[in-house]
Amino acid sequence: MNKPKKTLFAEAMEQHKGIVFKIVNSYCQNRDERQDLAQEILTTMWLAYDNYDNEHKFSTWMYRIALNVAISYYRKDSKRIGRASEDEECLVHIADFSQQEERSEEVMLLYRFIGQLDTLNKAIMLLYLESEPYDSIAHSLGISKTNVATRISRIKETLKKQFESQDV
Amino acid sequence: MNLDNFKETWQQQNSDTAAITINQTMLTDMKVNKQMKALNNMKWARIIEGVAFFAIIVLLGQYIATDFSLSAPTISAVVLTIFAIVGLAGNIGQIVLISKIDYAKPVSQLQKDIYRVCSHKLQLTKLLLMSVPFYLAYVFIGFDVLVGIDLFPHLEQHMIWIYSLSSLLLLAVTTTLLTKLHYDNIEISWVKNTIRVIVGERLVNMAQFINNIESTHR
Repeated sequence: MNKPKKTLFAEAMEQHKGIVFKIVNSYCQNRDERQDLAQEILTTMWLAYDNYDNEHKFSTWMYRIALNVAISYYRKDSKRIGRASEDEECLVHIADFSQQEERSEEVMLLYRFIGQLDTLNKAIMLLYLESEPYDSIAHSLGISKTNVATRISRIKETLKKQFESQDV
Repeated sequence: MNLDNFKETWQQQNSDTAAITINQTMLTDMKVNKQMKALNNMKWARIIEGVAFFAIIVLLGQYIATDFSLSAPTISAVVLTIFAIVGLAGNIGQIVLISKIDYAKPVSQLQKDIYRVCSHKLQLTKLLLMSVPFYLAYVFIGFDVLVGIDLFPHLEQHMIWIYSLSSLLLLAVTTTLLTKLHYDNIEISWVKNTIRVIVGERLVNMAQFINNIESTHR
């Protein structure tokens, strides 16, 4: 018997929740923002789930929606952030990033580096680190493959310099 | 250190399930979220504005029908009706656009759609600015409705010239302003500041993002 839609969605979210974690940590400065954004991403996923086409890779579809929510959400009035998570029951709980000692030094440095990139380069970097092919990155972002390649090459160069200066 | 060396470490985080926990019961009970609520509110605001524009069109239509001639107030009413029709068409376009917002679209496309939805206040301001060179239309109708006088035959020839020239001047100024007030020109400081004042910081950031994406195509 086929599983109900709700169950399938909940399973998919559980399996891919690492994507939400990476995006909120790359686009948000503090924990309240991260939690609020994660909630927006998950609810947008649920509202869009009816239109998901099984022929496409779920993680790619999820990344696209999550990036769209993060990019359009992040710039909202910062005053309301914080209030939202205090007043509402939590749909999602994100562990305090600064207190995750077990996270490797390399990953922490990488997050710090991603945090310094502009909005578009952040998205490119996130997809690149997931080993998405260049044409898939280009399609998800709506830019050309050549531009993706150029930007990745620049990001790599900058990262190399940055890591060399930190002696990693 | 090469970026490719990090890929494996990065992807290992996908299985790090302790860092994020989801309340599965709440997850699928959500019918709407903040972004959708905001879009829904925008849709209702556009519907109300659309009704207001429609009422203006009906009132101006009735006004034209009662005195269908080549008088200054009637021509003025026709001019203002055109602006109201443009406004109504814009509102209908916005309602259609809002209902088509799809977060699964490529990032650049969705951001442009959201920019267009959020820039409605800017478009409305542009429409008002476009009507500025036709300010005499308001004066003629005002005099006719409030005092019952057709002002135009009472104007002296030199005054007509002054008003005509000032309208032409205003037309040139507003045309320049309107063509410049676009995200393509967001790097120009007065454009950036004007958009910030009219619509807010969010739209400025969104315009910069779209501009950044488009600059990679140029």
